[in-house]
Amino acid sequence: MFTQSAPFVFCLFHVLDQAAEEEEGPSQAGSAMPSVELPRKRKGEVEERSDPMYNADIQFNIDQFLCRSEEEDQQVKMKCFREPHRQIEKRRRDKMNNLIDELSAMIPACQPMARKLDKLTVLRKAVQHLKALKAGASGAFTDTKHKPSILPQDELRHLLLRAADGFLLVVRCDRAKMLFISESVSKILNFSKLELTGQSLFDFIHPKDIHKVKEQLSSSEMLPQQRLVDASTGVQVQADAHVRPSHLATGARRSFFCRMKHSRVTGKHEDKHSLPGVSKKKETYRYCTLHCTGYMRTWPSSQLDPEADCTDKETSSLNCLVTVCRLHPPVSHQPPKDVNIKATEFVTRCAIDGKFTFVDQQATTVIGYLPQEVLGTSCYEYFHQDDLQHLAGKHRQVLRSKEKVETQCYKFKTKHGSYVMLQSQWFSFTNPWTKEVEFIVSSNKVVSGPGNAKDESEAGSSTLAHEEAKQILEIPGLSTGVGMMIYAGSIGTQIANELGDTYRANSSPSSEASSPFGSVQEKCPLTSRSFFPVCYHPGESSQLDLDVPGLSSFSSDEAAMAVIMSLLDSDVNMGSWTQSLF
Amino acid sequence: MTADKEKRRAISREAARRRRRVESDVFGDLSRLLPLQASVRAHLDKPSIIRLTLSFIRMQALLRETESAGCNAEAGHAVRFPRGVEAGEGRLFESETEEIAPLDETKMYLKILEGFLMVLSTTGDMIFLSDNVSKYMGLSQQTELMGHNIFEYTHPCDHEEIRHNLRLTAELGCSQKRDFVMRIKSALTHRGRVGNLKSTTWKVLHCQGRVKLCVASSSVSCLLLTCRPLPLSHTLLSTHTFTSQHGMDMRFTYCDQRVTSLLGYRPEELLGRSIYDLCHTLDTSCLNKNHLNLCLKSQSVSGQYRMLVRSGGYVWVESHSAVIPGVQPSRSRPNPSQPLCILSVTYVLSGVEEPSLQLSLDQTFPRYPR
Repeated sequence: MFTQSAPFVFCLFHVLDQAAEEEEGPSQAGSAMPSVELPRKRKGEVEERSDPMYNADIQFNIDQFLCRSEEEDQQVKMKCFREPHRQIEKRRRDKMNNLIDELSAMIPACQPMARKLDKLTVLRKAVQHLKALKAGASGAFTDTKHKPSILPQDELRHLLLRAADGFLLVVRCDRAKMLFISESVSKILNFSKLELTGQSLFDFIHPKDIHKVKEQLSSSEMLPQQRLVDASTGVQVQADAHVRPSHLATGARRSFFCRMKHSRVTGKHEDKHSLPGVSKKKETYRYCTLHCTGYMRTWPSSQLDPEADCTDKETSSLNCLVTVCRLHPPVSHQPPKDVNIKATEFVTRCAIDGKFTFVDQQATTVIGYLPQEVLGTSCYEYFHQDDLQHLAGKHRQVLRSKEKVETQCYKFKTKHGSYVMLQSQWFSFTNPWTKEVEFIVSSNKVVSGPGNAKDESEAGSSTLAHEEAKQILEIPGLSTGVGMMIYAGSIGTQIANELGDTYRANSSPSSEASSPFGSVQEKCPLTSRSFFPVCYHPGESSQLDLDVPGLSSFSSDEAAMAVIMSLLDSDVNMGSWTQSLF
Repeated sequence: MTADKEKRRAISREAARRRRRVESDVFGDLSRLLPLQASVRAHLDKPSIIRLTLSFIRMQALLRETESAGCNAEAGHAVRFPRGVEAGEGRLFESETEEIAPLDETKMYLKILEGFLMVLSTTGDMIFLSDNVSKYMGLSQQTELMGHNIFEYTHPCDHEEIRHNLRLTAELGCSQKRDFVMRIKSALTHRGRVGNLKSTTWKVLHCQGRVKLCVASSSVSCLLLTCRPLPLSHTLLSTHTFTSQHGMDMRFTYCDQRVTSLLGYRPEELLGRSIYDLCHTLDTSCLNKNHLNLCLKSQSVSGQYRMLVRSGGYVWVESHSAVIPGVQPSRSRPNPSQPLCILSVTYVLSGVEEPSLQLSLDQTFPRYPR
């Protein structure tokens, strides 16, 4: 059966096979050499799918093969494909069997059979099935205009628009009259095609986007402020270099977002509450965001717009924008699973030393402060003294862990002096490129606990205890001889500093190279800012006092840390806290 | 004895030959029934014939399912296709002329979308590909690719993500959208010509679509996707977009002037700032995913996220970004070179929301330039 050239071919495939086995191994490291498809010239017996091969290997083997003498040829023939030939054949048979199995699963006539059908029967039944489909279906077989394809054009178009969740729109540039809309618009905007055809586009665009759309519709003459970006190289190109508007040729591309009215039943779309620009007008119209991509095209006007005025006939050609408008999902990925917000929850973002850099507006209902009152201050200023130890521990933990850290319930001081019980989930966000922690995101929720009255009394009693503690801490007996108080802000800073030290210790040449734009950037930029030292008095508002003696006289962060450590050492009660900080 | 054996062997060889001939004939019949061009049909081998048959049957089943189910599969929409109007959709414009009649509407869609259609089964088989796929992948024609498994053609690191997207969730009623970025093999050179087989590279495709659930038999359920290569070229930028360049850590290294009118920041203020600082905290994960896609796949489309406006409040934006390599990788230097920067085109989608709200430190007091 095999022709003379067969052994050669089989040898070739032997190499293929080997390479195939290699690549299917577990260590796939995304090589830069993707596999390559052999052009398949032979049909019938020998079929190989796109087995990976390395050209070098093939070349080597072929050369080897060709150099041999006739005698050796025979031997090679035997050796070459006796052993692996079986394997090749087996794999080929397996593939064929799998395909046959899939085929029999798809054919209704093969379904009820108890035992597995043989290959020939399945194939014959497939032939019958196709004949039946041919008799029943239209499109693919009766469509003589277009070249035959697996899917008839109409259905392809349908599928396309389903997949794209969009509709085709052709708009006149000068008057924004909608000349054509595909049927699928009814699914997206809930207006029928008839309602929209002939209307002005601007009637349906969000008022704030009208200017934007007008700009996009402007004719293909380049306006001075237009810029084109060659997105593959990031270079801004000259406007005239690429656009050649000509009759029936592709004109300038357009791509923009706009909001269009839709009149869908609101009940089905409550998940769109975060839509941009949701209009809360009295009409039932809401807006959805569409991504419109397309290009400009020129047509003879007489054919397009039968309703055009007589004066229009002067202009022989009409500029139109042909675009596909796709519905843009409000979030194209899963909504953030890590931060779930409900009514009594709010989210904050802190720098690594605990200073608030972002506070959700919902925080106000919980803590009483407006965001701007809290921003820039350290979160430790609001924590109750009893919780400091555990929260500082969590702070350290979250900076070093990639997972979410849950705090226990703790008290947070509100604007009015009372405390509210919160429980938070923290996670540190690391920049994927530099692998450094950029900030901490905190999702805080209110825990219903004992009533406020009790909290206040606790606050009162803790004030007393705190005064004592303060006094203890003020007792000198320290190497510096300076009277000190614990500054809440410095707790966070100190923890951040530790992290900075870790980074400095761990920084290797490779990490330096990976950020060439300022590898000398400070790893903890915020520590260089002046402190906002605050006397830790519950009940008093925090003071932003910059001229505090003592701390500012320290030349380095390490020294400040040392002083604080020694302070803490002196207090027996806080011994365990010291432990956690080291 | 030997003669007997010989005879038996001869008989079995004949029988085998006959079987093979019959089989080839049936394969021939099958291929003739498939709606293919004659030139394509001549080059098909047996597995390909089966693959194409499978594709054809699956697509027919899918389309029948679409017709019969109508809009039932998606309970969210209240409107049905009015049958009468659909019949008249064949014409692009109301009036027929010789010039417009040959316009292939479907081709127009595909051209506008700048991508191809892919129908994926739940096991990853590419059941159907529109025929412009060769324009994007360059490797082979539609019929050679159809029926194969997508995992053979995509980057191994993306397989997990693809698998995740192929998983169907059982719930009906809410349309299941899919939106992800993957790398696929392409034999096109930079200039768009079909290169030789040795120069296959990875091309980044942005795949968007939905799940098509088939209630009757789950084997027909599949994913409908449009796959577009990133990035789009030569896009006209409007006043509501701005471009920016970032380091690989997403800190600004350049920003064009428009950002001032749109967001209130002066470009100098932004240099060195991380983009994560400027966005709403709830969108951190969105940006993170975008950033990861950029690092891994070199191109990305972010979803919609909120950027904080300098004076208060925020706007909804979407960014299309790409990593610009410093030096184009060439044959002599096939290793990916040091990336130069990330280029980002940001579209502003909405007006300023909640302009009086100050959410972030930046919005409260003037920042000193670093």
